[in-house]
Amino acid sequence: MAPVSPPSERPRLDLLDPHEVARLGGLELVTQGVVEGFLAGLHRSPRRGFSVEFAEHRMYQPGDEPRYVDWKILGRADRLYVKQFEEETNLRAILVLDVSQSMGWTGAPGSVLTKLAYAQRLAAALALVLLRQRDAVGLITFDEAVRSVTPARARTTHWHQLLRVLSATTAGKGTAAEPALRRVVDLLRRRGLVVLISDLLLDQELALQALRFLRHRGHQVMVLHLMDPAEVRLSGPAEARFVDPETGRAVTLRPKDWAAAYEATVEAAVRAWLLACRREDIHYFRITTDTPFGLALRAALTQAPAAV
Amino acid sequence: MIGFLHPWVLLGLAAAGLPLLLHLLARREPPALEFPAVRYLMETARRHERRLKVQNYLLLILRTLLVLALVLGASGPHVDTRLGAGHVPGALVLVVDNSLSSGAVVDGVPVLTQLREAAGRVLSEATPADTLWLLTADGIPRRGSPEALRQSVAGLSPLSLRMDLGEALRTAEDVLRGSGQIVVVSDFQLTALSALPALSALSVLAVRPSGSPPANWGVTSIDPGHQPWTTDGGAVRILVSGPAQATAPLTLRVGDRPARRGLASAGVPLGISSPTVPAGWWPVAAELDPDEVRADDRRVTAVRVLPVAGVAWPSDEPYLLAAAEVLQAGGRFRRGSEVALGFLGPNASVVEPPKDPAGIEVLNRRLGERGVAWRYGRLSLEAVASDSGELVGRERVLRRYGLEPVGNARTGVLATAGGAPWIVRSGRVVLIGSRLDPEWTSLPVSAAFIPLLDALVNRMARGEVATVETAPGDPAPVPDLATEVRAGNRTWPVEGGARFRPPEPGIYYFLAGRDTLGALSVNPDPRESELTRATDSQIRGLWPGTRIVSTTEAATAGFFGSARADLTGPLLWLALTLGLVELLVASGRGSRA
Repeated sequence: MAPVSPPSERPRLDLLDPHEVARLGGLELVTQGVVEGFLAGLHRSPRRGFSVEFAEHRMYQPGDEPRYVDWKILGRADRLYVKQFEEETNLRAILVLDVSQSMGWTGAPGSVLTKLAYAQRLAAALALVLLRQRDAVGLITFDEAVRSVTPARARTTHWHQLLRVLSATTAGKGTAAEPALRRVVDLLRRRGLVVLISDLLLDQELALQALRFLRHRGHQVMVLHLMDPAEVRLSGPAEARFVDPETGRAVTLRPKDWAAAYEATVEAAVRAWLLACRREDIHYFRITTDTPFGLALRAALTQAPAAV
Repeated sequence: MIGFLHPWVLLGLAAAGLPLLLHLLARREPPALEFPAVRYLMETARRHERRLKVQNYLLLILRTLLVLALVLGASGPHVDTRLGAGHVPGALVLVVDNSLSSGAVVDGVPVLTQLREAAGRVLSEATPADTLWLLTADGIPRRGSPEALRQSVAGLSPLSLRMDLGEALRTAEDVLRGSGQIVVVSDFQLTALSALPALSALSVLAVRPSGSPPANWGVTSIDPGHQPWTTDGGAVRILVSGPAQATAPLTLRVGDRPARRGLASAGVPLGISSPTVPAGWWPVAAELDPDEVRADDRRVTAVRVLPVAGVAWPSDEPYLLAAAEVLQAGGRFRRGSEVALGFLGPNASVVEPPKDPAGIEVLNRRLGERGVAWRYGRLSLEAVASDSGELVGRERVLRRYGLEPVGNARTGVLATAGGAPWIVRSGRVVLIGSRLDPEWTSLPVSAAFIPLLDALVNRMARGEVATVETAPGDPAPVPDLATEVRAGNRTWPVEGGARFRPPEPGIYYFLAGRDTLGALSVNPDPRESELTRATDSQIRGLWPGTRIVSTTEAATAGFFGSARADLTGPLLWLALTLGLVELLVASGRGSRA
C-alpha cells in the first residue's frame, strides 16, 4: 500500500504555475486537484451567510472559525470540535465562457496556457466548488454566436457533463457576448450568479449593456477578465506588423518604442472596465494566464457576492 | 566671415544625409505577428503617434546636426570676431623674408616692396598692447613697438642671405614659447621651405605676393681648378641657373686683366680660360648681364698665381730627365733651385728613395733634420697596384719602400699602393715610395707621369692653396696662423682656429702679418637664384594648419589668431551635447507614456 502523505505535505496544485499544472493530467484530474488544494487552503468558508443544516462534528484545525467551535463538547470533554453544516442548495450559477478565436492565443506557446485553456480549467474548478456547495451550475459558451448551452444542475454528476462540454470546446471565430448573456435570462428564472469569463476583446458597450440587463433582473454578475502576459507587456522584434486574428486589423510599429504607452493604454482599458462594472455593482477581476489557479479562485470566490 | 583650415574635410558634410538614408534603407516590410489585443495598440497609436512622430523627427534632426557639427569641427573653422573693432592683445612674430630672392623685380616693382607693404599692413593692425617681434633674413628676432617695427620694415632691403623659412618658424616658435601667432611674409621660394617637426599650437599665417616669379639667370658655381695657377693663367669652370633651352652671355674677369666671354646654358658647366696673370692673389669674377635679380648675377673667387717653378733635377735618371725636359719645354719648369726633383734639397723637394739601400738611413736622418713627419721604411718586393685616386691612376708597383709616419700622424697621404702610403707630403717635402724607374713602377712609362710631376712640383711641393667658399653670414674656419681678415679696405682681427662670419659677398683674405695665408670666397647661396614659388598645397603639406592669404589681404588677415575665433572646440562640444540629447530622447522615447 502506497504511503499517503499528510494533507499539509501534498503539493498545492492550486498554487503552481498553471502551465505546469495543466501538464499533470486531464481536465478532470487537474481541476479536482486544484479545487482540493484550494479548499484545503481556505481559512474560512468562501460562502458565508448560507442557510445551512448541522451535519457532523470534526476535529478543530488551525484556521477554523472560532464561532463554529462546539463549546459544549469543549466543556464536557475538553476537546476542540467544530460543527460542520450541510449546505442547502439555493444558488443557481451560470458560467458564460468566451471561446472566440482571440481566446485561443498565447504569447508564449511553450510556457503559458492559451486564454481558452486557462478559462476551461478555471470554469471547471469554479463549477466543482459551487457543486460541492450544492449550488446548481450551468454553462454557456460563445464566440460570435452562442456555441453551447448547458442548463444549471446541482447534481454532483453534473460536473462531468460540464467537463465534457468544456473539453470539447475549441476556439471559434469572432466575439459577441451580448447574445450569450441575453440567453442567461432563459436559464436563470430566479435570481442567481452569472460569471463571464472572457478576454473582453469585444464590443464593450454591447457587453456592458447586456451585463446591466442581467443586474436589472436581480442577478449577481462577476466578470473574470483573462489576459495573456504578452498582452499586458508589449514585446517582440525591433519592428513588427501586429495582426488581430479575429478582425484582420493590423498595425506596424516598433514594440520597444511603444511598450510604455501600450501598457498605459491597457491599464486605462482595464480601469475603464473596472469603473464601468463598479457602477453597475458588477464584480470585476483581471486575471493573467500565468496566475496560479488557486489565486484566481480566491480572488473570484472570496470576494464574490453572497448568494441570494 | 568664416574660414576653414581643412576645407577638404567639408566633403564629409555629405555624411549628414546618412541618418535619413539609413532611415529610408531600414524601411522594409516587418514580420507579421498574430496579436489579439491590436485594439489596444491602435488606441495607443492614436494617442501617442503625434508625440512619437515629433520625437522621431527630433532624433533625425539631432543626428543630422551631430554629423554636421562633427564634420564642421574637423574642418577647422574659424570666424572673424573683430567686426572692425580691434582684436584681443596677443603675441606675434612677423617674419619678413628679405633674402636675396626678395630683390627680384616683378612688373617693375621689387618683390620686397610688396612684402614690406604687406608687413606694414599687418603692423598697422597692431596695438601697443600687442607683443611684437620682427624676424628677417639675418635670423635675429627683434622686439619692438608697432611703430618701431613699422620703421624697421620700411627700411628693409634685400640681403644676400638665404632665408630658410622652416628655420625661421622654429625661431619664432622659440620666441613665442607656445603662445601667439606667426605671420610669414615671403615670396615662398620652393627652395626656402623646409618641414617642421611640429608647430605646437601656434597659428601660422602665410602672406604671399600675387603673380608669377620672373625667369632668372644666376651664377651658381665658379671653380678656378687647382691652385696655384702659373702666370700662364688657368681654366675656370662656371655653372649658371636659368631658363632651360636658353643661353646667356657670361663674362669672366681675373683681376684687372681683359675680360673673357662665353655663352652659358643652365646646368651645363662652362669652361673659360683666363688670360695670363702676374704672380699674386687675384680675384676672379663670373658675371651675367643684369636681370630681375641683380645679386646673383655675379660670383667671385680668388686664385693664387705663382711663377713657373725653378727646378733642379738629376741628370743620371733618364725617365726623370726626359719628363723634366718636356715640362721645361712646355713652360711648366725652369732651371732653378726652388724645387729639388728626385732628391732632398734645401727647399721644396720631391724625393725618391736612393739607388743604394744603404742611403736610406742617411736620407731618413736628413728628413728628420728638416722636420718631415714621414720616414722611409723597409723595402717590399711584393708587386701591387697603386690605388686609383685624384693624383695617380692605377699603376703597377713592383718595389717600394714603406713610408712610415713619425708618431701617430698620418696626414699628407697623396697616393697609396696596396693600401699603404706610397706618395706623401709633409710641409714642402713630397716623398715617393718607389724610384721613378720601370724596374720599380710602371709610372715613368705611363702617360700620367708628366702631369704627376707637374702637380707634385707646382702644387704639392710649393704648397697648395685652396680658397674656402661660404655664404654671407655662414661661419668659415680661420687658418691657424691667421691674425687678420681683410676685404678691400675693411679688416677684422681674428684668431687662428676660430670661425669668421663674412657679412656680405666678396673675397676675404686671411693674413698673418704681411703674408696672405688664404682666401675666403663669399657668394650668395645658389638656391636663392631659383625663384620658383611653392604652391599653397606644398606650403600646407610642410606646415599643416597654415592659413594662406595674398599680400593684399594681409591687413584683414593679420592678428587672425586673436581676431578669429577657432570654432573647433565649440563645435565639438556642440556635437557632444547633441549626442547626449540624442541619447536622452532615444531612451525617453520608449520609457515615457
